[in-house]
Amino acid sequence: MNRTGFVYDERYLLHLTGGYHPESPERLKAIYKRLEDSGVLEKLTRIEAVKANQRWIEAVHKIHYIMRFDEACISGLNEFEHPDNGICRDSYDTAFLAVGGVLKAIDAVMKGEVDNVFCAVRPPGHHAEVDKPMGFCYFNNVAIGARYLQKEYGIKRVGIIDFDVHHGNGTQHIFDCDPTVFYYSIHEHPSFAYPGTGREFEAGLAEGEGYTVNSPVLPGRGDDEYKRLIMQDLVPAFKKFNPEFILLSAGFDAHESDMMSGTNLSTEGYDFISEVIMNLVKRCTGGRVVSVLEGGYNLDIMPLLVENHIRFLADLK
Amino acid sequence: MFVSERMAKNLITAGPDMTIFEAKTIMAEKGFRHLPIVDSAGKLIGIVSDRDIRAAMPSTLMKKADYEITLATIMNFPVGDIMTKNPLTIYAYYTIQDSLLMMQKKKVGALPVIDQEGYLKGLLSVRDLLRSFVSVLNIDEPGCLLCIVVNAKEKTGQMKKIVDIITEEKIAMGSVLVARAWDNNKRAIFPYLLTNNIINVKKKLIENGFELIDPMQWYLDHQQPQ
Repeated sequence: MNRTGFVYDERYLLHLTGGYHPESPERLKAIYKRLEDSGVLEKLTRIEAVKANQRWIEAVHKIHYIMRFDEACISGLNEFEHPDNGICRDSYDTAFLAVGGVLKAIDAVMKGEVDNVFCAVRPPGHHAEVDKPMGFCYFNNVAIGARYLQKEYGIKRVGIIDFDVHHGNGTQHIFDCDPTVFYYSIHEHPSFAYPGTGREFEAGLAEGEGYTVNSPVLPGRGDDEYKRLIMQDLVPAFKKFNPEFILLSAGFDAHESDMMSGTNLSTEGYDFISEVIMNLVKRCTGGRVVSVLEGGYNLDIMPLLVENHIRFLADLK
Repeated sequence: MFVSERMAKNLITAGPDMTIFEAKTIMAEKGFRHLPIVDSAGKLIGIVSDRDIRAAMPSTLMKKADYEITLATIMNFPVGDIMTKNPLTIYAYYTIQDSLLMMQKKKVGALPVIDQEGYLKGLLSVRDLLRSFVSVLNIDEPGCLLCIVVNAKEKTGQMKKIVDIITEEKIAMGSVLVARAWDNNKRAIFPYLLTNNIINVKKKLIENGFELIDPMQWYLDHQQPQ
């Protein structure tokens, strides 16, 4: 069994997105309850989240963008630059706390206190661009984590695996030209699904060319296609890149029961992803991985998928 | 959707006396495939494409020495000798639709834009058209595509209902494509929604009796038997 950390904070529930918004506090409540009921929670090492130091957020986002977000929340606006991005007065602080949770998770792994961590944080992050909120995301938690690993711990090669059903446009664009961060994403095909990027020909720019790989999945396709693409696109690329640390953008919205998407990944299909990732982690990083929650909106099934994913992290499967 | 908004305006042009060598160099450096030829007053008299230039080149199957001598001679000819004279032209007030149909029917890759007196005002290429369609479809904006089948014969006003539902959810539409001849009496409507938040709109459409189709099912159903 691995020592697996768990980042969660009740203050993550304070970020309210407005009635009927799928990215709701209920998501985290449901995850917490499931982990508690299943007995998995007591096997995890709780990691307290603290608000991130702003300088780490500035390592990815423009200062003026951070200020605009602050102002939008202070002024009591109910959305930030697009109706998708519902906010309340507490959203700014909660977003700082989400980033801070990821950074604390990285600290815990790097200091050897735990082997790996799952971060049940919100708001999510992978759509957030340097200067723009998108798709329920404000600060790019995983991208900030990658920069933190490099600057604070001198990690040279960070691998990011994004299995949310949507393409992580923000993360890709942030590291487009960067050969030290490898971004892999598997997601529903951009002609059908948000945000409309992540085609195969998007493969990094300039020095970063070859350090981005996208695997689009057509709607209606499920486990077989995921398995084929992961074995063909992800595994060889990561073996070659050989990251020293792996960050996961863990989205659970590709499931057949999630109305956010048209892909048909099964519960077992998610197990396959977690298993392959843990094998890569063992081989490349000596076990170091931090998994960060992104999407997943079916409250009846997503908590189970999270539990199963954590079981793979903790070697409880 | 007028040509004036989409045409290239800062053009590089040539006189008919420019050598083929100079024209070839300019086009290669700037990555242009078409070079409008104007007289000293700026009136359009022709157009040279990279194809015209390639057609004027000596065969690469010639012996090297012969090839180089021929090439040197050809390079000194004026472009006026190889240009298409009196090319098809359009006016800035033509629509993108006019240009699309013209390029498709006449099989040309670019249309010079002139004014009533024949002065060159711009150039509209296939690439400009592609860019304008990306923009019209709004697919460079983040969003997702809904695939809805409606029974057009039984009921009218289906499109209104769909638009109403999308509007009630306060979602902006990037574009809407309609396939009029779907199956028997059925039409397919593809609204491109500028949002990530599609669960509620999908639920409402289903509640209102619309059929959401799995696009891959449609793809498989329409495959020709091998």
